Amino acid sequence: MLINRIFSGNDAVFGLTQQAVEGAVSQYGADKAVGFPHTAYCLPCYYSVTGVKIKTLGDMKEALGVIRTLMTREHALDDALMSGVATALCAEFIEALKYLDGAQPYEEPCYGHLADSIIRELGVPLVTGDIPGVAVILGSAPTAKEGVDLIKSYQAQGILVTLVGGIIDQAAELGLKMGYNVRIVPLGRDVTSVIHVVSVALRAALIFGNVTPSDTASLITYTSDRVPAFVNAFKPIDDVILAAGAGAIKLGFPVISNENENIVEVPGALIACSDTADFNKVSLEARNIKIKITNIDIPVAFASAFEGEIIRRKDMQVEFDGSRIDCAELVHTKPMDEVEDHKITVIGPDVDTFEIGSKHSLAYVVEVAGKKMQPDFEPVIERKFHNYINCIEGVYHTGQRDMLRIRIGKEAFNAGFRAKHFGEVLYAQVKNEFEAVVDKCQVTIYTDPAECTRIRHKMAVPTFEKRDARLETLTDESVDVYYSCILCQAFSPSHVCVVTPERLGLCGAVSWLDAKATNELDPAGPCQVITKERVINEDLGSYEDVDEAVLKYSQGALEHVTLYSIMQDPMTSCGCFECICGIEPFSNGVVIANREYAGMTPLGMTFPEMASMTGGGVQTPGFMGHGKHFIGSKKFMKAEGGIERIVWMPKELKETVAERLNKTAEELYGIPNFTDMIGDETVAVDPETLVAFLTEHAHPALSMEPMM
Amino acid sequence: MPFNQKPQKFNAKINTVTIGSGDKTVALGGNSTFPFYSFDAPTENTAKVGVEITDMGLEGVSEGIKAYYEGATTMADIAKKAAAMEGADFVALVLEGGDPNGENKSVDELIAIVKEVADAVDCPLVVEGCKNVEKDAELLPKVAEVLQGRNVLILAEKEENYKAIGAAAGLAYNQIVGAESAVDINLAKQLNVVTTQLGVNAQKIVMNIGSACAGYGYEYVVSTMDRIKGAALGQNDNMLQMPIITPVASETWGVKEASASEADMPEWGPQDERGIDMEIMTAAADLAAGSDAVILRHPQSVATISKMIKALA
Amino acid sequence: MALNGIQIFKLTPKKNCKECGCPTCMAFSMKVAQGAMKIEQCPHMSEDAIASLSEATAPPMKTIKIGTGDGEFTLGGETVLFRHEKTFVSKTRYAVALCTCMDDAAVDAKIKEIPKVDYERIGERMYAELVYVNCSEDADAAKYTALVEKAAGIGRTLVLGCTDPEIAKAALAVCKDSKPVLNGANASNYEAMNAVAAEAGVVLGVSGKDINELYDTVAALEKLGNKNLVLDVTGADLKETFANAVLVRRAALKDQDRTFGYPSIVNTVKIAKGDVHMQAALASLFTMKYGSIIVMEQMTYAEALPLYGLRQNVFTDPQKPMKVEPGIYPLNGADENSLVVTTVDFALTYFVVSGELERSGVPLNLVINDAGGLSVLTSWAAGKFSGNSISKFIIENVEPKVKCRKLLIPGKVAVLKGDLEAKLPGWEIIVGPREAVQLVKFLKDMQA
Repeated sequence: MLINRIFSGNDAVFGLTQQAVEGAVSQYGADKAVGFPHTAYCLPCYYSVTGVKIKTLGDMKEALGVIRTLMTREHALDDALMSGVATALCAEFIEALKYLDGAQPYEEPCYGHLADSIIRELGVPLVTGDIPGVAVILGSAPTAKEGVDLIKSYQAQGILVTLVGGIIDQAAELGLKMGYNVRIVPLGRDVTSVIHVVSVALRAALIFGNVTPSDTASLITYTSDRVPAFVNAFKPIDDVILAAGAGAIKLGFPVISNENENIVEVPGALIACSDTADFNKVSLEARNIKIKITNIDIPVAFASAFEGEIIRRKDMQVEFDGSRIDCAELVHTKPMDEVEDHKITVIGPDVDTFEIGSKHSLAYVVEVAGKKMQPDFEPVIERKFHNYINCIEGVYHTGQRDMLRIRIGKEAFNAGFRAKHFGEVLYAQVKNEFEAVVDKCQVTIYTDPAECTRIRHKMAVPTFEKRDARLETLTDESVDVYYSCILCQAFSPSHVCVVTPERLGLCGAVSWLDAKATNELDPAGPCQVITKERVINEDLGSYEDVDEAVLKYSQGALEHVTLYSIMQDPMTSCGCFECICGIEPFSNGVVIANREYAGMTPLGMTFPEMASMTGGGVQTPGFMGHGKHFIGSKKFMKAEGGIERIVWMPKELKETVAERLNKTAEELYGIPNFTDMIGDETVAVDPETLVAFLTEHAHPALSMEPMM
Repeated sequence: MPFNQKPQKFNAKINTVTIGSGDKTVALGGNSTFPFYSFDAPTENTAKVGVEITDMGLEGVSEGIKAYYEGATTMADIAKKAAAMEGADFVALVLEGGDPNGENKSVDELIAIVKEVADAVDCPLVVEGCKNVEKDAELLPKVAEVLQGRNVLILAEKEENYKAIGAAAGLAYNQIVGAESAVDINLAKQLNVVTTQLGVNAQKIVMNIGSACAGYGYEYVVSTMDRIKGAALGQNDNMLQMPIITPVASETWGVKEASASEADMPEWGPQDERGIDMEIMTAAADLAAGSDAVILRHPQSVATISKMIKALA
Repeated sequence: MALNGIQIFKLTPKKNCKECGCPTCMAFSMKVAQGAMKIEQCPHMSEDAIASLSEATAPPMKTIKIGTGDGEFTLGGETVLFRHEKTFVSKTRYAVALCTCMDDAAVDAKIKEIPKVDYERIGERMYAELVYVNCSEDADAAKYTALVEKAAGIGRTLVLGCTDPEIAKAALAVCKDSKPVLNGANASNYEAMNAVAAEAGVVLGVSGKDINELYDTVAALEKLGNKNLVLDVTGADLKETFANAVLVRRAALKDQDRTFGYPSIVNTVKIAKGDVHMQAALASLFTMKYGSIIVMEQMTYAEALPLYGLRQNVFTDPQKPMKVEPGIYPLNGADENSLVVTTVDFALTYFVVSGELERSGVPLNLVINDAGGLSVLTSWAAGKFSGNSISKFIIENVEPKVKCRKLLIPGKVAVLKGDLEAKLPGWEIIVGPREAVQLVKFLKDMQA
């Protein structure tokens, strides 16, 4: 039905165009010049699509035959959309005829055709996102006020608004200031004048996209990907408008309409929306336009300069303390339709009802939705809350999860800081910094004690447990890709970290989830995907994919890296490793020293000495830098037998990692309390004493295969 | 056994980027060897030397430079003399007066100077912003606009403003885009990647990988350039094959060794000589590490560095 | 192919006897692999093992020592062509040239001028370490010897540029104890020069009319048993000289051609005579690319300030950033009442920050304490630029000397403010800008 309507609309427009062109030819002759002023692209739409410049009425008449070939009548969506393009080209002809003989068919406030220079000027803010989108509003709104409200809602977001048809007079009626300088451009009252904004989009593709005219595939890719335009068409939608809309859809511009009769929705392309008040939201979502938040609406300053501010008891208005009563902070991913962007709700009494210096419960849940959002990013976002809240002038935050503590200072309170302002800050920062994954965000702040208890125990704690469990079960085998990390190449030019779930970056700061999030948020950044499809040796953890990646990211300095061996092509180290392990030949095992340990090790080398020969992105078989967390991993030097090889660690480090290490040893080898068998500086700092100790404790490394 | 000279051949080369229009153009880059290694493969284009002038006229420049420009009263005069300097391949106009923390000249005022300079000389032009990322994002697109057809190099977009400057210079007005990063191979590459993702042609990008004065953390410049050239040639990394331009003068004339007056530091000797050698030595090191063009201020430096380049070709 | 520590360890006696000075054989092996120790330093290594190892572990480029006492310098010993691959180990040394062709007044002026440049920069003494004494063709032994004696008078290590064995012998008679370099062997005189150098026990400099002749002459000298050489790579012009310098070094390090595994001499006076600015450019060029000794006509402050700064940068270990000594650095005529500013001891940060602070003209006390030589955020993250470390230094070192109780901290560590306020009672902690370039404006605004 929809397709037939498009065909009929197209036929009608084509008929009109044919008549008009023929009429003009008979009146002025075929050699009569035709074209728009101030453009080098002749009839820009026709030229973009076909590569042919129309200069005379005769050219135009000939071109009608070409347009005809686009008007196929198979009952298929693509035929319908191509008919939409044909409709647009016809409209361009009709509009061009208005400009014959240097006529000025448009007068205030209408613009009609837009010059090339405007496109060059417009191109830059469109690319930078300063103009986040282009709205095409067509027809008459149900009431003038509704129409103007819609225009203003886009204007407030910096979106360029073009107007076609009755909406222009409606806007004028309410005295709306219009013009290019205020980003509201009325094009014309005829529906064909919509072609002037299409012309802008297509010329942008030629000018900015270097698209070759007639390369329609690239043209459409460009307009779909780079021109953030969309159409708002008010009812009634007749067949002609529908046909023109099909042209817009073909270029990648969704059409949103309040028409509900004789129309079928096409997901993502033709969208019904009965209330014009929702046009803005629906349009932005359909076109995936994100509005940058430049101003956080709070009564105190927000800057990193306040990050280190401490609110002391005497300066404190009120305190929330998770160590005493129920508090929580949480990011929660929800489906798109369950999140209302920028909705901030406070449940419970506000701060001004609290006594000065009193202690209360507080929980805030930031609900996010996005096409690219994944629950794995929740903790990455959540970890930033500490920083966000601390940057508020006069507010102080420590801790995390359900162990947070927040103080609001008297000055901030007197300046008007209230509970909802937490929501404003969290909303703005999450939207800005996680733009790549968060499309919508709403914040609920709970101050009601019972609600806080519920959120903490029914929602937050189970989520944290689930996340921890996921981290536990996340293994190298269970994921499809690893990530590179080259954050520290400034210091270690040829070093590349390969980050896997069981082997975090050797600095201890970049987990596989962090790397994944970094990659999503900054696709050209330091963390890149490494596939793991072509395995060379499972035990060593060597892959052709990994080798190719390290070769590439080390600029050719490294050819082979294994993930699980310290003897064969061990991973390189930068300078920021938490620990170094090194082979101790007399006990047939390895010694680990951490950065904080200043003393001697049984290798006869201190941490700095080991570091000097291991760092800088150089492969040193037998020695390797790594994170503390890696010590308890099942993958720790798996190729050489795993953690059973650990014979010595500084006491402090041993205590830090004992729980995980013992658990892994028990699981892998059935050895209970494995750390008791491992030496430390109180036992030995030379190989002989160490071996004696290990012998006494029957350390398994002594009877393992020789490492070299 | 006689000496067996093994040339180091690469199957990759640095892009050739031409700036300027008409019959006055210079080509940057194009080589497939480490700098000056003409014994490995023939040199396609020699390195180029630009003369720096600023919208602030002759304010604050050393005596020797003042002497060279004697009689020049307008920016047009200064530009002409700069273009006529012995060894000069192009003129680089720095719009330092735009800095909001300094003179804070308006965009209109600066554009008028840009036009005056561009009208005065027909040699290839480089226009540098004021380094303030917000101001440059506003200023440099205008510069690109008013110099349409001159094929100038716009220095520079940075990570913070590459969209505005890259789109204006590289897409809207067909100029050459200068991409400035902070002395780190990965940052340099990342900026090239995102700039090309905007749609800017990789062949129309020149990098300023960041610079320093000799003695001031210069080791980072050396290693970054060494590594970029290594990756561009050895790894055929096409996101690092853009030629490198290094504004030397703006780094060297600001340091104490070059700027202290002889009255303050009598044992150091004449200020002009110190400024010249600081500029010459930093430029020579930049060229040895990988700069395809340097921007200098003093006529003696320009003459000497240009002579050195020619002697090595 | 160099051996790694594990491979070397396998050949050691594995006794941990500690006689080599290392606590374990493993530690010794790792040091040998790094080139920090020689395999021969193990008293228990078998002959076979030494023979097989010394060839494999011998560095591709020899380390040559010249001069004595304070004037002793190490040349060569490089293992990489680019500093980022590991590090450059032996700094370029600069020689000011004297020549028998100069008149007495010129010689005296030069000799007076040389010692004037002598200063310290980040813990390193900066001066022209060497004097190159050239013997022109028309000079006789008496004239040359007289010049050499005069040159020796200023106490710098000498490089004798002399191709006549007899004259060289006479000159060495007056200066050989200070271990100068005798730069004068070539294809036609190398046997005689070798005898002179060997007798005096000095390093011999070799040159050739082109790179092939240089190569053959070095090979011939090695055959005579002399491996205590430096190679004068100076050619007919700049282009040839640069090619020689690069090709010699590259052959040694990349292609493992040991015949070229020696330090180099580049004489800019020969290829840019009288042009001090060109010599300045070339000094920089050859500091970057493979000059071990660079000869110039003069080393005034104009040359020294940039050149020594450049050298200090190029020869710094990429793994160990340069550090500034902890202390209070008063700027712009600061006194005890001037504002206190602090940042890290990373030399680059220090230079950038102090430069901007000087530019502001505001009197300030810049306080630097040990932050591990790292940048602000890195040292903060490593816990080396913390509330504890800063407050401790301030209380111990600053409070007794400075009365002002206002401390400006870098904007990047705004997070330290509260902690510092708690640990430094009586102090006002001011958060500065995040970038050094914003300091001038920040300080001006603060004054206003």
